[in-house]
Amino acid sequence: MDFSIIIDGLFTALQPINLMWLVIGAILGTIVGILPGLGPATGIAVLIPLTFGMEPISALILMAAIYYGALFGGSRSSILINTPGDGSSIAATFDGYPMTKKGQAGQAMSIAAIASLIGGVMAIFGFIFLAIPLAQFALNFGPAEYVMLFIFALSAVVALSMGNIAKGFLTMFLGLGISTIGVDLQSGVHRFTLDVPHLTDGIDFIVIIIGIYALGEVLYNMFNINKAKKPDQNIGSKWFTKEQWKKSLAPILRSGPIGFFLGILPGSGGTISSLLAYSTQKQIAKNKEEYGKGAVEGLVAPESANSSAAVGSMIPMLTMAIPGSGATAVMLGALIMIGIQPGPLLFENSPDLVWTLINSMFIGNIILVVINIAMVGMLVKVLHTPPKVLYPLVLVLSFLGAYTLGYSTVDFYILILAGVLGLLLRVLNYPVVPLILALIVGNDMEQNFMRATVIYDGPVSILFASPITIGLAVLTILSLSYPLIIKLLGRRKKKDHPMTM
Amino acid sequence: MWKPVLSSLPFLLLVACSSSASSEGTEFPTERMELIAPASPGGGWDMTARSVHRAMTNDDIITQDFNVENMPGGGGEVGWQYLQRQDAHSTSVNSSLLLTNNLLGQSDLSYEDFTPIAMLLTEWIAWATASNADVQDADELISQLQDDPESLIFGLSPALGSGYHLSTSQIAMLSGVEPRDLQVLVYDSGGEAMNALLGGHIDILVNSMSVLSSQYEAGEIDIHAVTSPERLEMFPDVPTWQELGVDIEFPHWRGVMGPPDMTEEEIAQYDEWFGEMAESDQWQRDLESNMFFDFYMDSEETKAFLEEQDALFNDIIESVGLMP
Repeated sequence: MDFSIIIDGLFTALQPINLMWLVIGAILGTIVGILPGLGPATGIAVLIPLTFGMEPISALILMAAIYYGALFGGSRSSILINTPGDGSSIAATFDGYPMTKKGQAGQAMSIAAIASLIGGVMAIFGFIFLAIPLAQFALNFGPAEYVMLFIFALSAVVALSMGNIAKGFLTMFLGLGISTIGVDLQSGVHRFTLDVPHLTDGIDFIVIIIGIYALGEVLYNMFNINKAKKPDQNIGSKWFTKEQWKKSLAPILRSGPIGFFLGILPGSGGTISSLLAYSTQKQIAKNKEEYGKGAVEGLVAPESANSSAAVGSMIPMLTMAIPGSGATAVMLGALIMIGIQPGPLLFENSPDLVWTLINSMFIGNIILVVINIAMVGMLVKVLHTPPKVLYPLVLVLSFLGAYTLGYSTVDFYILILAGVLGLLLRVLNYPVVPLILALIVGNDMEQNFMRATVIYDGPVSILFASPITIGLAVLTILSLSYPLIIKLLGRRKKKDHPMTM
Repeated sequence: MWKPVLSSLPFLLLVACSSSASSEGTEFPTERMELIAPASPGGGWDMTARSVHRAMTNDDIITQDFNVENMPGGGGEVGWQYLQRQDAHSTSVNSSLLLTNNLLGQSDLSYEDFTPIAMLLTEWIAWATASNADVQDADELISQLQDDPESLIFGLSPALGSGYHLSTSQIAMLSGVEPRDLQVLVYDSGGEAMNALLGGHIDILVNSMSVLSSQYEAGEIDIHAVTSPERLEMFPDVPTWQELGVDIEFPHWRGVMGPPDMTEEEIAQYDEWFGEMAESDQWQRDLESNMFFDFYMDSEETKAFLEEQDALFNDIIESVGLMP
């Protein structure tokens, strides 16, 4: 590897003008990430006209900074008000919000930012050394491989609903059902669209997420809004403790590569990688009963993963001109508009551009940590806002967010229905995550299954299509039988216990 | 670069008409104008709308307040239903979906419900195979399909009945292959389908030259034949289908239309704007960087062109058995 070109890239990234765009992008990205519904794709799209007059490299730096900045910001609202900014930050609600309830909001936000930084930096190193071979490897993922990947992701998450796995399956199937709404690509048939054109493209899962989490939270608390359990004044220190750091390091380092690799696969993206990182972390943890009640490991694992997935998802976009997520699709379009042609020749034709971008991502991640930790003090003030003021604000933001996703009022009704659904699930104690994940992967899984049936003879040959499908099938069986194994082990321990007494 | 032969003559006439129209004191435009991109930011429709906006405002062709509005959903349906209720200050980008949505029974809106304003640009469609598949030329593919139409798997996007699908069906028909027998996998986007081609999951990718070009230049894929009437300047080695004896010319066009019942003065005003824009440097530069091809037609020509396309699509859809 030619190092002089890397150093040149560093100096270009450090030019005042580029540094300025980097900071602007980081701040904008954080804001976009915090607001529910407003994701990096929208943030970048709105800025496209601004990039027309810019140097191509500055434009690329700005757009990339918004993208990974949004992932830093996304966890803020998850942690503070149990409202994920977008799909990738759902997992941050699982243990982030309980930490807030325990009076550790400040610690949760600062350690989440550090986790994002480390995940991002790991992915940048992955980018430097592995970009091209990994993009090539990702091509092996055809219809059969994707079907098995999605089945594995679903089974891993369902298996998480410990104790009530039946309930987990139930909400998963509900999610899969909702995902069939819209036109079926392979046959062109419109399914359950009720002649509403907006439903042709299906229901945007982010509307459902905002409904279930934000609206559901407001509805749940509405019953006792006047009792106003004064929110815990003690927000904890801004900085996490040494003990928390010790617990976090291993999960962060483990989750980074998971996120990075899943990020490279087109279509899977931040949401799946953060959920899988969470489930992996929980499955190998010893203190499972603490998860969901404010375990710091459960917060840092998904944060590290989604941040490195963001960097990973730029690889197919830059090296193959194949966008793997909404945000990278918008970036690809904008890059072509300003005269950069991503593709296999980009690394040969404009190495200066690529290395400047990589250096700027490195600097950008550090800037983002500073911004996010500096904002902790300001953000926790949200917790001092009385519910009577806070909840109406959450409602307004939710509806705004839902509207900006599809520019359609149909989404308002879906949002309200999802809110009621979220309330019901919560009151009846059904797990939400299987539903959300099923909703996200359902359509892709079905379409890939339909494609696979054209390519392969039958279900069995799909299962044995390649070493990848076999490997994923084994993982699926392992994760589904996991609760069973635990139970058996637990029983034996209990049996053992009296004997040793 | 391909251009309709007669584009300049009617354009001059119309400029003359419009100047006489404005001298009669017809006031248009009087308020903020909008160009609807009936899709999310980032796609082809959005790019077209934004390029129009940039060319129109950069050179001060339109001095009125002028915005691009994204209204995604239903393959254009949401934006076009909205357009139907607006006045002449609103226009929308369109494409062959305007015709096929109706023909496929997916929409009640027809092209006749709107006022044709202009054709803007086109992409040309080609068949590509992975270079390690060692396919010599399109003839080889066609004769393999003639022997066994199910032996090759096509990948295309974003829907059955799209330009990529219809052009492939027409090529099959013209070569004596039953289009219903073709094995077609539909992908959400051209990028996903390209992934499948490079990974060896499909045999033939049908897409625009703009999507194919970067992998072609890198030597990863071979492009076999293109639906343009003449070889494209940028791809001198890619033969046309016509050279190979398949009589097809299939543009993948995008244009602009307005709401129903526009006055002649308003149409003339748009003709003047778009005529000027089509000649502008900014527009030509944007076409080139996106690998779009100039396809400018004024409102009269556009109207005739749409009728012709509608009849053609109707025939193909009927023979592919996609009729509702």
